[in-house]
Amino acid sequence: MTRPTTEIAWTAGELLNQLRRRQKLFVLDVRNRDEFEKFPLEGPGVSAINFPYFEMLESGGKDDMVDSIVACAQQDLANKLPRDLPVLAVCAKGGTSEFVMQGLQRLGYDAGNLQGGMNAWGNYYESQAILDTHELSIFQISRPARGCLSYMVVSDGNAIVIDPLRQLHAYLDMARARGCSISMIIDTHSHADHISGGLALAAATGASYHLHPYDAIHPMDLLPATFPYEPIRDGQVLRAGKHELRAVHIPGHTLGLVALILDDQYLFTGDSIFIRSIARPDLGGKSEAWAPLHTRSLRKLLEMPEQTTVLPGHFSTLEEADTGGNFQATLCDLKRQNESLLVLQRESDDGFVRYLLDSLPKFIPEYAEIKRVNTGLLSPAEDDAATLELGKNVCGLAQAQAAVHGESR
Amino acid sequence: MSLPFDKVFDARGMNCPMPLVNARKEIGKLQSGQVLKVLATDRGSVGDFQGWAKVAKNVELVGQETETEGGTSIYVHYVKRTA
Repeated sequence: MTRPTTEIAWTAGELLNQLRRRQKLFVLDVRNRDEFEKFPLEGPGVSAINFPYFEMLESGGKDDMVDSIVACAQQDLANKLPRDLPVLAVCAKGGTSEFVMQGLQRLGYDAGNLQGGMNAWGNYYESQAILDTHELSIFQISRPARGCLSYMVVSDGNAIVIDPLRQLHAYLDMARARGCSISMIIDTHSHADHISGGLALAAATGASYHLHPYDAIHPMDLLPATFPYEPIRDGQVLRAGKHELRAVHIPGHTLGLVALILDDQYLFTGDSIFIRSIARPDLGGKSEAWAPLHTRSLRKLLEMPEQTTVLPGHFSTLEEADTGGNFQATLCDLKRQNESLLVLQRESDDGFVRYLLDSLPKFIPEYAEIKRVNTGLLSPAEDDAATLELGKNVCGLAQAQAAVHGESR
Repeated sequence: MSLPFDKVFDARGMNCPMPLVNARKEIGKLQSGQVLKVLATDRGSVGDFQGWAKVAKNVELVGQETETEGGTSIYVHYVKRTA
């Protein structure tokens, strides 16, 4: 009954590989309920339960942590934990779940521990090449737990970073590895769900920082940004080595959102068109005024050539990735498969505005606060910054989110 | 602000779950009505002590506060043994 067990420590990178392969995985999350509800471990093959470690301790009733876990698992979890699947113990930092793994292994479960816990998973960055020639490279740098995507375009020893995320190591390491210098940083818009790494990366590299001026004003506070930036205007062409990056102003998700087109082929959509969803128009608190703008901007993007490659700012589930693990699709495919874009193509402007307003997910109060950080109106300490950003982004519409939740259960 | 207490348990520098696991043992040594003051540097201990006090028998969380000592936050929990 008890099989010999080895310590199975899963790093965040190994977890990502398992999730990508849609490996079936059972998660025993021992954080407290709030943390579990705000930021559960999600993935195509994942089922998860929450049993806070202090409840295990009380239910098991022993002085020793592992003894308590063994007693609790026998009493309370015998019918819940699968014998035929890996059980991954998960906590905030990976320390408590180590005890949980040991207890489960003592009972013969195929148990593992997520090293560094949900903190490590939430802060894990992955880089993948969308295009890699000696002429031009595009890297998609993602934070898989949050569904955030950023990009690095490398040409002629120069790199442009689009929508850099808060931790800078991914960009600095990539630039070092490619022997290029980061010369320009562009935020497609003022982000609500995560803290931009744009200004910090500009300070660390001496690169210029570009933002549309409408997004240098907090939409609710109506206060201007406290930092200098290079204003982007509609139609402006930015040089990427031998290549051209053209800005298209597409207000809707924010008033200053811009999409960027590289060589008339690669379209960085920011928060407008995602693979399975589209961006929500309500994060400035003015959904009725912004939804018509959003509708017109989305129509403008759909007029671009069918073979344009869309590179979005977010994803909701790893299943949106192509077989190579990249989050990209042609405009042509999205017109046929993206539910919201199908609605857009068959509805009038008024009808689509109604659809948008009927599909809004719950407003997240932290998002107004994060925008304050991204406008330079607030500077939280590291711990507070991490707490503000906790959990998966909710920048897309309700239906897409609901579909994702339906699939992962 | 500081609340009355009978004994101090210093869990500074300990990582989760040790502040709670060890404080729980210390409370077992107290008499009914006595209060243990727990000092911790683990930020997660704030929510964990709240959650634990709800399910633990004969324990009441009478107060929590955060002190700053040389730039480090110290999370203080006052736990009373009730029976």
